Amino acid sequence: MAGFSVVTLVVVASLWLYALRRRPGEVSDEQAQRIQNRWVIGGGLILPIVSITALLAFGIPIGHRMLPLPLVEEEPLRIDVTARQWWWDVSYPASGIRLRDELHIPAGMPVDLHLTSEDVIHSFWVPRLGGKLDMLPGRTNVLRLEADEPGLYYGQCAEYCGTGHAHMKFTVRAHAPGEFDAWLEGATVDE
Amino acid sequence: MSEQQKHSAQLHEQFDRVWGNLPGFGQLAAVNHTSVGLRFVVTGLFFFLVGGVLAMLMRTQLALPEQEIIGPELYSQLFTMHGTLMMFLFAIPILEGVAMYLIPKMVGARDLAFPRLGAMGYYCYLFGGLIILSSLALSIAPDSGWFMYTPLSSSTFSPGPGSDFWLLGITFVEISSMTGAIELVISILRTRSNGMSLRRMPIFCWYILAMALMIVFGFPPLILGSILLELERAAGLVFFEVAGGGDPLLWQHLFWLFGHPEVYIIFLPAAGIVSTLIPVFARRPIVGYRWIVLAVIVMGFISFGLWVHHMFTVGIPQLAQAFFSMASMLVAIPTAIQVFAWLATLWTGRVVWNLPMLWILGFLIIFVAGGLTGVMLALVPFNWQVHDTHFVVAHMHYVLVGGMLFPLIAGLYYWLPHVSGRMPSDMLGRWAFWLVFIGFNMTFLLMHLTGLLGMPRRVYTYEAGLGWDWLNLLSSIGGFVMAIGIAMFLLDIFLHFRFGRRAPRNPWGADSLEWAVAMPVTTYNFISLPDIRSRHPLWHNPQLPFEIEEGKHAMAVIRHGRRETWGSDAVTGRVREVVHLPSHSWIPLQAGVVLAIVCLSLLLKTYWLALGATLVAAFIMLRWSWVNGAHPDMAPVRDDDPSDPPLHSRTHDGPGRWGMLVTLMANGSFYASLLFGWFYLWTASPQWQAPEQGPLALMPLLASGVLLSLAVVVYQWLTQRLRRGVTRHLQGGLWISAGIGLIHVAVLVWLMLAAELTPTQSAHDSVLAVMLGYLLFHGALSAVATAMQAVRVRFGYVSAQLPYEPLVLQPFWSYTLGVFWLSFAAFILLPMAW
Amino acid sequence: MTFPPWHPIHLITGLTVWAIWFVVLYGGLSVACEVVPPDPTRGPLNWLNALLWLSTLVVVGVLGWAAWHCARGTPENTQPNRRFVARTSAGLYFLSAFATLVVAVPVWFLPPCI
Repeated sequence: MAGFSVVTLVVVASLWLYALRRRPGEVSDEQAQRIQNRWVIGGGLILPIVSITALLAFGIPIGHRMLPLPLVEEEPLRIDVTARQWWWDVSYPASGIRLRDELHIPAGMPVDLHLTSEDVIHSFWVPRLGGKLDMLPGRTNVLRLEADEPGLYYGQCAEYCGTGHAHMKFTVRAHAPGEFDAWLEGATVDE
Repeated sequence: MSEQQKHSAQLHEQFDRVWGNLPGFGQLAAVNHTSVGLRFVVTGLFFFLVGGVLAMLMRTQLALPEQEIIGPELYSQLFTMHGTLMMFLFAIPILEGVAMYLIPKMVGARDLAFPRLGAMGYYCYLFGGLIILSSLALSIAPDSGWFMYTPLSSSTFSPGPGSDFWLLGITFVEISSMTGAIELVISILRTRSNGMSLRRMPIFCWYILAMALMIVFGFPPLILGSILLELERAAGLVFFEVAGGGDPLLWQHLFWLFGHPEVYIIFLPAAGIVSTLIPVFARRPIVGYRWIVLAVIVMGFISFGLWVHHMFTVGIPQLAQAFFSMASMLVAIPTAIQVFAWLATLWTGRVVWNLPMLWILGFLIIFVAGGLTGVMLALVPFNWQVHDTHFVVAHMHYVLVGGMLFPLIAGLYYWLPHVSGRMPSDMLGRWAFWLVFIGFNMTFLLMHLTGLLGMPRRVYTYEAGLGWDWLNLLSSIGGFVMAIGIAMFLLDIFLHFRFGRRAPRNPWGADSLEWAVAMPVTTYNFISLPDIRSRHPLWHNPQLPFEIEEGKHAMAVIRHGRRETWGSDAVTGRVREVVHLPSHSWIPLQAGVVLAIVCLSLLLKTYWLALGATLVAAFIMLRWSWVNGAHPDMAPVRDDDPSDPPLHSRTHDGPGRWGMLVTLMANGSFYASLLFGWFYLWTASPQWQAPEQGPLALMPLLASGVLLSLAVVVYQWLTQRLRRGVTRHLQGGLWISAGIGLIHVAVLVWLMLAAELTPTQSAHDSVLAVMLGYLLFHGALSAVATAMQAVRVRFGYVSAQLPYEPLVLQPFWSYTLGVFWLSFAAFILLPMAW
Repeated sequence: MTFPPWHPIHLITGLTVWAIWFVVLYGGLSVACEVVPPDPTRGPLNWLNALLWLSTLVVVGVLGWAAWHCARGTPENTQPNRRFVARTSAGLYFLSAFATLVVAVPVWFLPPCI
């Protein structure tokens, strides 16, 4: 996508530069009409339509995969995340675990995050795991995340939420599937 | 001196006496579009500088990681004010100012259609801007971002006065955008010189027409949103707070319903400048004029279908998002049509290379790059990733700086000789260009990468070692390079007034009428108004400027010391009437000052003062409309009144009526936003509660509606007879219509008080209260204005020969009636039927 | 249609129709999802998407017809003002029809309410 954009930019800019330097000689009205049609229809209609089609062919399948459709297999793990100025209240309804500013998820399987806010609008974002989703007071949005690899991921608030915004961060620890159950048990015991 | 020159000089003196401003402090009473337009431009540049300084402060803070030069409190004020200043106090006013300066000259008129309105708009802009700026000096500036998302901007989370400054100040400033837009629309449609049909309008006029109409429809949602949010903050009504049945997303909808068209409102006039300059320097007519007109119209509409693309991450169903995503991509088509029409023009022309063209080239490269990242952002999954990161900051600056600032500077250089009669320096201008161009790309090209690496927007600092350090440092350096370039540009402009070499008439060899005005610019534009037979009048007839100056065309006389220009048919451009315009007046300044007092007293929460000042403002406005038409200060009936074409105040359908219709379009957009809010909260708000029984008593409401209908029927009957020249019972009839209207208002007031609404507890009652207030305002205004017409009949300002004013008021009555019954259906009947 | 093809109202009608259709599409979808959401597992094949698609076809048909009407009624070169308005209007109707079609494309792919 970026490559295509750069090419378009370079081509358009060079055409302009060439057009600026060109000495066309006498151009009759008919010729001008022809040139007009060539450029305006070619560049003004066909080029954007082709680009948009290409972009969609590429974008729609990606978007489709991100839909929180009901899964054929088991229900994904549910985690509730409530944002406050300026921290993240994380709870696991199935096991009653509550955490602050950190999430633990199993790697390699989807989890559904139920996002909401207690005060102002925040936005949940882990850049390496996927898109962001706003957390609004009075509403709950569901974000489906999946970490392919175990590891530590950093997340932060992506919607300006007041003076503490820059420091409103959290971590996501993705465990290998077996380890996650162990963590879950250990954490439940701690409670 | 030849006989001819003597004659020209004489004419100039006569015209200048009538059209010139008062000396000294009298300048403040100026209504002339040249003065007002230039004031807009200069004030806009001032706010641009302030906004630029704020940006430099932010770049200083972000230059290195973990700096503590500027704390989070100040930083949030800085970015909020930077966005606010640049959008509301720089971009729109300066472009409107340029348009106000140019449009009458381009269409061959001597002034805008409503000069006093423009002057008042300027004072609203100036005072509103200063009020907003003062908050920064007191370090209580708004700090919730330029889009003021609630609940962050609500009284709970922003208890200080910052948000109030924004909401009240911006609404005040927007009065000026609206007045400017309305008078631009009417001036373009109704005051063109004889024979300038739509097809022969300079392309710039199409762009400005589209921009102005977009303002007319696009600003009301934000004005409504600001009023609602201020009511919530100050009076405790509920619109956006979840607890009482409101929804913060309503604010986002209202804001972006304005906010996205706003981007195109800024882009269109700038693109208009590009479309004006390119053919001049390519020495040939623009290629694909009709294609461009088509693209401009398409852009004007489609840009209203994009607003949700600022809200892709709030959790709207994907299919709904996809509609907006597709519409966002569609905008690429009209943009590309324009870019390639410009290309084809350059391709077939012999390009003269000079300073304005350099800035145009910079525009092209930066804007196309910004447009391409825009298409990427329209793709929902990609948007989810980079939304609210520095990638978006970079994209937005590419589009706005590339799409607005570069063409604007090109345009300022191009029209500079028109104002000063001197040429800018080529040398300084080139230096300024390269510094700005390089500095800009250094700052913002790198910022794409910063954003892709995950740096969010609006953070006042960041940790070291995330890979953002060197990018931010280079961005900051680039920012300062750009600032030096801007300073050099301003220095160039400043110096050229003193040292620039004298410009010859029409120095760039342009085709459009504004270059037929003498240089430096005169107050009256044209001594005589030419017939237009071509889209390029000055290429068609290079002698035209001299013929105009020698008074060889129409209306080369001053009648009774009046300011006059043509009024013409909107489509064919054939002359229909002589529009007589007001001379200098203190009323705009008075109105501006009193409105500023209203704004300040609301800020200080001294509501009695606000009420008093509002009443004074209403009185001033009535006085304003009193000095009109056949009033002795305007155009009293005389035996030698022109009859073919007649004075506009003697016709049935002058510019005032058109102005009323366009104002009602804006009003309708405001009302539609209110309806949208009602239905939105009703269907989508998480905790919406509606009482079992509607709180308003049905029968009295119906009765008040019947009264209103009766008042309108009487008014219609009177105006129908007036059109036929029958004035028997006119005065009495107007009194009756006004009286019934007032009873309608009284019933509404009683109803409102009897209903025991609890607007501080429920969004349902809050919206209902606003709706009732809206109906009350319209009913009262119709009645008062009608009563004034009755008095004017008595004074002889309205009669069979002077049927104009009641006909101007007529659409307002019809609108009031329509809105009443629509509200009745939407707010009363529909919930009952549900 | 009572307006001749060169009436300037055609310069705005096409896109106004598009805009109204767009609002109805978005508003109708939102309200329908609020009141009677179709089963998400059925993907894009459900009554709601069918209805949206039907509305699209109707609007495209009307706009296409209007484009043809303006193009056919374009006067000859002797009346350049009228010719200008009629031809521009024809183009605008055509683009409105195209815009309608494009905006509705996702209805093929996506389930309505999630």
